[in-house]
Amino acid sequence: MNDLVKLVEESATRIFKDFSESDVYDSMEAGAFPIQLWNDFLADGWFRTTLTEENGGTGLGLAGGYVLMRLAGYYAAPIPIMEPLLGLYVLSQAGMPITDELLIPVVLDNEPVGDTISIAGVPWARDAAGLVVVFTSNGNTYINLIRRENYTVITSQNMAGEPRDDVQLNINPLDAAQRLSDDITASQISSWLALGKSVMTAGALQRVLERTVEYATERSQFGRQIGKFQAVQQQLAVQAELTSASNCAVDAAIGHIGTPQEWELIACAKITTAEAAGYAAKTAHAVHAAIGFTHECPLQLSTRRLWSWRDEYGNEQDWSIRLGEYSLKLNTDGLWPWLTTQTGE
Amino acid sequence: MQRLNFEPVLTGKKEAALRSDVRRFLANQGTFPPGEVIDSWSVCNPEFSRLIAAEGWLGMTWPTEYGGGGRSYLERYVVIEELLAAGAPVGAHWVADRQSGPLLLRFGTEEQRQHFLPKIVRGECFFAIGMSEANSGSDLASIKTRAERVDGGWLVNGSKIWTSWAHVCQQMITLCRTEAPTKDRHAGLSQFIIDLDHEGITMNPIKNMAGEEHFNEIFFDNVFVPDTRVIGEVNQGWNQVMAELAFERSGPERFLSSYRLLEAAVEILRAKELQQHAAAIIGQFTARLMVLRQMSLSVANQLQQGKLPVNEASVVKDLGTSFEQEVPDALRLILSTEARLDAKQGVERLLSDAILKSPSFSLRGGTREILRGIIARGLGLR
Repeated sequence: MNDLVKLVEESATRIFKDFSESDVYDSMEAGAFPIQLWNDFLADGWFRTTLTEENGGTGLGLAGGYVLMRLAGYYAAPIPIMEPLLGLYVLSQAGMPITDELLIPVVLDNEPVGDTISIAGVPWARDAAGLVVVFTSNGNTYINLIRRENYTVITSQNMAGEPRDDVQLNINPLDAAQRLSDDITASQISSWLALGKSVMTAGALQRVLERTVEYATERSQFGRQIGKFQAVQQQLAVQAELTSASNCAVDAAIGHIGTPQEWELIACAKITTAEAAGYAAKTAHAVHAAIGFTHECPLQLSTRRLWSWRDEYGNEQDWSIRLGEYSLKLNTDGLWPWLTTQTGE
Repeated sequence: MQRLNFEPVLTGKKEAALRSDVRRFLANQGTFPPGEVIDSWSVCNPEFSRLIAAEGWLGMTWPTEYGGGGRSYLERYVVIEELLAAGAPVGAHWVADRQSGPLLLRFGTEEQRQHFLPKIVRGECFFAIGMSEANSGSDLASIKTRAERVDGGWLVNGSKIWTSWAHVCQQMITLCRTEAPTKDRHAGLSQFIIDLDHEGITMNPIKNMAGEEHFNEIFFDNVFVPDTRVIGEVNQGWNQVMAELAFERSGPERFLSSYRLLEAAVEILRAKELQQHAAAIIGQFTARLMVLRQMSLSVANQLQQGKLPVNEASVVKDLGTSFEQEVPDALRLILSTEARLDAKQGVERLLSDAILKSPSFSLRGGTREILRGIIARGLGLR
């Protein structure tokens, strides 16, 4: 990790706090936008982290943004972090004006045809000032900032109670769309979003591991800490293994942004983190037993997110198929060279 | 809680050039016999080891004053992963190069280093591991083989088992009890370099279920070992063994044992009409391999920095051996073929070898349960 990344991590950690005792979750899940928290992050300019220094950013690009996303995952931050970070980054790549509004990046799977375009599961669409819609048309990548008055929302939530709204655009995104430079594709932006969820998952996995280990050393049954039982230790060891593999996988993917193997490493990160999410949530709840099943216990803030995030922007099966199809299309004897080329050579 | 550290590392131009050299060397070797490419680091071929030695690929990280290459752990990593992925028979020198040499560099005397290291580097001296006994497997501290003080050295009596290729190796690093067990079970153990040609040593080969005879039971009857062949400090053997195991647990051999099967399966599936569930499995396994490789490289880099990442090494070994065991289990379903013990070539033979050899993958070098115990200790649970 370079020094600047470390610096960003250290100073950002101060603004992320332990929200778990606060009632901000309940009000967020009931539909209120956490405006106070939003203003705190805004005041310090954190949403501009991915931008150049002239635009108020750190100059670290996406890597800087992912530092914040990992913290957001770790602390189960009840506000949009990934979306404004990536939304502003995409806007800046298009040379569009940067604002302090909440803008949500959305990549359309298909070319927009017709007057009503429906998009399922858009995070925080109800509260946003607009959607940064990216799509491909006739082989070109376009971007269009569609303002709140030009889309309607049917609100919905993921299992963690985070807003995931179904959106209908009332204008065709092709109207007044702007071409993105040829260096950036819609599927690339899509993979940055998938990496964002992977990074958040990696952060949440670390938190869940720490909570579970802590509980296993506090809780006693049969006259000893439950963490002293080998059956429990063995499960927690595997949870730690998968958590560290997940964090290594997202680090490797972040390190390969902008390289020819970018999406492959992101695929590996999404597959690894999504698989680990299921094991970790299951094991954490087994160790916490009944208390972990309560609304009061903060474990659920992280595990409900793990179960939601593993499916968002492609689950492990979707990405495995894509990566597998890619591996199977490599030249004869091409698998090993492919596996070993991502080492910066 | 101390977080496990797998900070990513990138290899550079130097390693890339070396990789090309290894690939050129391997291309000149032709293909290896299909019956020897699964778990090829258990396939002993002294002649091949001497070819590797001639290329300067033994003792690569050791100081040049002992004949070593003076190169980095990452350079060694590139060489060994290329050899393993090709299924090259690297078993003869594997233990000496991976752990015995590094152990002598860490704890050995100057005379021992000067005597043994150049020979290992030339591919003339192979080492066996003398740890397990018939009644001491995972519970290594319970070993009974003892070394008693005599004039000028020690007299060893007892036996060791599962000593791979001891009948080919010249030397064995042997863990013995040098003091009666006390409350501290780990005290009173010492490591000795024993010349396997010595009088008083007998060996019985043990055939494994895959039909190979690479391990042995070995008996010591009043075997004299001079003081000059004690490694490190008398009665401090346990700590030395633990350091040795850190080198042993994290390398690419912990997830590449069944790699040739994965590669063969991909070649077969490439020629078939693409099926989504097959692609999903190939994708999942390539992702796991990619990440394991990053983790293992990270540990190699930490060893380079002089750290001893014991917990991280255990993580790589547990995840890695699970991976290499699951490869045949998953691939047999999508290849939809039957494994054949006697096939001379083809995926049927690779499947058979991978399945029959796979139980050992998670036993050698510390069982799955032992590794998870170490990781749990790192979590503060023990």
